Amino acid sequence: MNYLAIVGTNSEVSTNRMLLQFMQEHFKAAAQLELYEIKDLPAFYEAEDDQVPQEVEALSAKILQADGVIIATPEYDHAIPAVLKSALEWISYTSQALTDKPVLIVGASHGALGSSRAQAHLRQILDSPELAARIMPSSEFLLGKSQAAFNASGTLIYEDKLAELDEIFREFVLFTEIITKLLSEKAVIKKDKKFAWQTQKA
Amino acid sequence: MKFTAIIGTTSPKSYNRTLLQFMQAHFSDKAQIELLEINEVPMFNQDTPSNSPQLLEINDKIIASDGVIIATPEYNHSIPSSLKSLLEWLSFERHPLDGKPVMILGASIDAQGSSRAQLHLRQILDAPGVNAHVMPGYEFLLGNAHKAFDDKDQLNSEGTIDFLEICFLRFMRFAKISNQLNEEEDFSFKPGTYEVSSLGHGGALPLKVSFSKKKIESINIDTSGETEGLADVVFVRIPDKIIEGQTLNVDVLSGASETSNAVIDGVAKAVKLAGVNPDILKRRPKPASSLNRGDEEYTCDVVVIGGGGAGLSAAATVLQEGKSAIILEKYPAVGGNTIRTGGPINAADPEWQRSFQENPGERHTIEALLNTDENDIHQEYLADFKALKNEFATYQKHFGNDKGYLFDSPLLHRMQTYFGGKRTDLKGNNIYGQYDLVKILTDRALESVKWLEEIGVEYNKDIVFAPVGALWRRGHKPVKKYGTAFILALSKYIADMSGTIITDSPAKEFLIEDGEIKGVIATGVNGQTITIHAKAVVLASGGFGANTKMLKQYNTYWSNIADDVKTTNSYAMTGDGILLGQSVGAGLTGMGFTQMMPVADPNTGELFSGLQVPPENFVIVNKQGKRFINEFAGRDVLTKAVLAEGGLFYLIADDEIKKTAANTSQEKIDRQVEEGTLFRADTLEQLAVKVGMDPEVLVDTINKYNSYVEAGEDPEFHKDTFSLKVEKAPFYATPRQPAVHHTMGGLKIDTATRVLDENNQPIKNLYAAGEVAGGIHAGNRLGGNALADIFTFGRIAGKTAIEEMN
Repeated sequence: MNYLAIVGTNSEVSTNRMLLQFMQEHFKAAAQLELYEIKDLPAFYEAEDDQVPQEVEALSAKILQADGVIIATPEYDHAIPAVLKSALEWISYTSQALTDKPVLIVGASHGALGSSRAQAHLRQILDSPELAARIMPSSEFLLGKSQAAFNASGTLIYEDKLAELDEIFREFVLFTEIITKLLSEKAVIKKDKKFAWQTQKA
Repeated sequence: MKFTAIIGTTSPKSYNRTLLQFMQAHFSDKAQIELLEINEVPMFNQDTPSNSPQLLEINDKIIASDGVIIATPEYNHSIPSSLKSLLEWLSFERHPLDGKPVMILGASIDAQGSSRAQLHLRQILDAPGVNAHVMPGYEFLLGNAHKAFDDKDQLNSEGTIDFLEICFLRFMRFAKISNQLNEEEDFSFKPGTYEVSSLGHGGALPLKVSFSKKKIESINIDTSGETEGLADVVFVRIPDKIIEGQTLNVDVLSGASETSNAVIDGVAKAVKLAGVNPDILKRRPKPASSLNRGDEEYTCDVVVIGGGGAGLSAAATVLQEGKSAIILEKYPAVGGNTIRTGGPINAADPEWQRSFQENPGERHTIEALLNTDENDIHQEYLADFKALKNEFATYQKHFGNDKGYLFDSPLLHRMQTYFGGKRTDLKGNNIYGQYDLVKILTDRALESVKWLEEIGVEYNKDIVFAPVGALWRRGHKPVKKYGTAFILALSKYIADMSGTIITDSPAKEFLIEDGEIKGVIATGVNGQTITIHAKAVVLASGGFGANTKMLKQYNTYWSNIADDVKTTNSYAMTGDGILLGQSVGAGLTGMGFTQMMPVADPNTGELFSGLQVPPENFVIVNKQGKRFINEFAGRDVLTKAVLAEGGLFYLIADDEIKKTAANTSQEKIDRQVEEGTLFRADTLEQLAVKVGMDPEVLVDTINKYNSYVEAGEDPEFHKDTFSLKVEKAPFYATPRQPAVHHTMGGLKIDTATRVLDENNQPIKNLYAAGEVAGGIHAGNRLGGNALADIFTFGRIAGKTAIEEMN
């Protein structure tokens, strides 16, 4: 499997990035994870059709090529960071590349809660008709106390969390296969739906 | 009443804006509503300060208002990223929404009327960092917004207007009552002194806080457990601000938030012991000095950018000449990289060095150097090379086979700096130190040592040694802790001479008048503009070791610079001065060459974590557990080998080897093992598992190594000096990774430190000294030469600036 793993922050230091880096190494036998940084994307604006920033098009292309997407989100003020929301707005406004794409949500936080509320928001956001991702159900991976979670070589040292992650990732690979099969047998492909901003400005 | 209304989108056409404009006019007899745009607020990033002008304006207007109305569209079931970004800024360093009454409403083109975005917004506004008082109920959703307004942008449904009025009147009442919660409760302290303990960076932080009935009178902190540097600033700044404003609402220092919070928490504990709810003091406004955002203007003779060793010595020289100087430092404290120094300053001082005996092998070192083929020496250096030969011949003749004194001369220093700096990069470019600059460095370093002594630096003259990578024993060691000794003496001198140091204020651009540099414009600690008019500007802002992007952009020497490469430098070293110089056409030299310190902490870039033992004792292995190099290899040989192995490697030690570590204590070791930054196990096999190696491989490596120690010979990597075997449990593995240590390249300067443009013409009124300038160390800087550089060229910069303005 080829997955695109999106680091949900623009901060230089991030345990969500460390989590994805760990997953990249740890699961390399099962899947190839390409880490993607959103920090260089411009902040979302309503670009004209022919003037979509290159970085956005590059991201869309990567998503389209991947078998699935993994998003690691921190929690800022009970929600996902603006910079991650901005990246999703770009996708939703331009390519809608996440449509029907299998997505796994993970997240890390310095506190005990492990970005639980941000992840709940992210599920709702990805479930909006313009994004319409296939989010893996019942697969909450919350990494609390993340600053102490990795050793010097970047290995996740919480054994219970590691076991949980192993199982979730195994399921996600399976989920990706099942969704791919499901889509191949789907009768109606919802591609041509026009959304509000495509007809009117909000 | 006075409200601010935030338009929750950056879109130029928005029904949310129309709705707020309607409200502004419709309710003008009841309240004053000011609309705020968010289109120029940058994307939130926790690594940058909150100082965008529009953001500061929004912040101030919210604070001055009785309540806030937020109109949000709905993007993907949530609020727009632009609105979220604003709220993140408003919950980061500034918290204007704390306790502020807020009314939420929203418009959308579909039937939803932003219903789901509004729910998200409520949850976001309720987060502790935002802490707004959101009006419950009265949900105003404007669906089908494109049909809701007439051609004069008036709401066209009476029912909708009626409901909006009900919601707004309710909000006015809610705001009034909610604001009463913000009025301070009456309180009085139980007078006395209370002792508390808070958790600082280095462990327990004991504080003594004294109260009178109405005031916090004093805060005393026992700082013995903390490291010096930025923490020292925290221990003065935070208590000063708390007492000034009688508030616990004080800004933490960037780069030292943990220590800052420890002080604030400690005082809060004491407040509680004195019988008062600390929340009352946390809700008070920030001290007046933190709110002062009035622009500032100064005039002086010389403005120096950067408060490290180079900048402070430039400013001190200016003051000595009877002129005025201002130092702009972007960090809360002066010191720069200099304060992090762990070694002495190089200067050939033959008279003094004569009082020490030569060491075995030292004459061989010089002979080897003098045996260099003259064809391999650049023309400019040839005369000096020959002169050095004569000097040494005289020495040899004098001592013959007897033990002599420690030989040295500026010529030897010069030739060693030259040979030490000669390198070839990946593209085959050769580089070596520019003769005229190296000559000044080596001829005048001693003058710098003596000048510092006059300024107040005391040296320990009983010891002479070579710091790592110095090649020769000519280090002058201060009595006090290395970097601190220089910085303390210089800052005290500058204060005594009435020089001005402005901290927390990064220089942003030059002040240019009639095409000439006439000063600097900086951003102050509270976001204000600081304009400094000056006759000359000295750039002394350091290198770019902490700017990975720039390192990668220019690198031509290392096969690879990782995205997450660490640095031993202060995080302030982001190449600001180089960019400033480029903005006025300065030329650059040697930018592709940087020095890496191979044995740095992979997480922090620190040099002194883990177990640091002499090279004869440790065993270097790669991630697989195999040796790959002679442990005695020099800095850049080791770094190259390590990069080829993927970057990360381990220093293996046992219980006996551990005892030879000079940098640590059992307590520190235990803490690092617990934190997972140092690994310990009872067997080599278990140790291998802990760091992800194949146990068989590591055991095999160590068995072989031990046999080499016994034989006194290493057929694999030719290590020739051994001391201890690795045999006594517990065993240790210290993870290491090369970190950027010094950036040799920088602005082109001449011998008088004038900054040169691409055509080698001086740029008027601009000088540069220290790591910001290039040309001296070329491909590799000798240990101990950076200090010689900054104090020598720093002084020259001050002097030239004065001479040229007269």
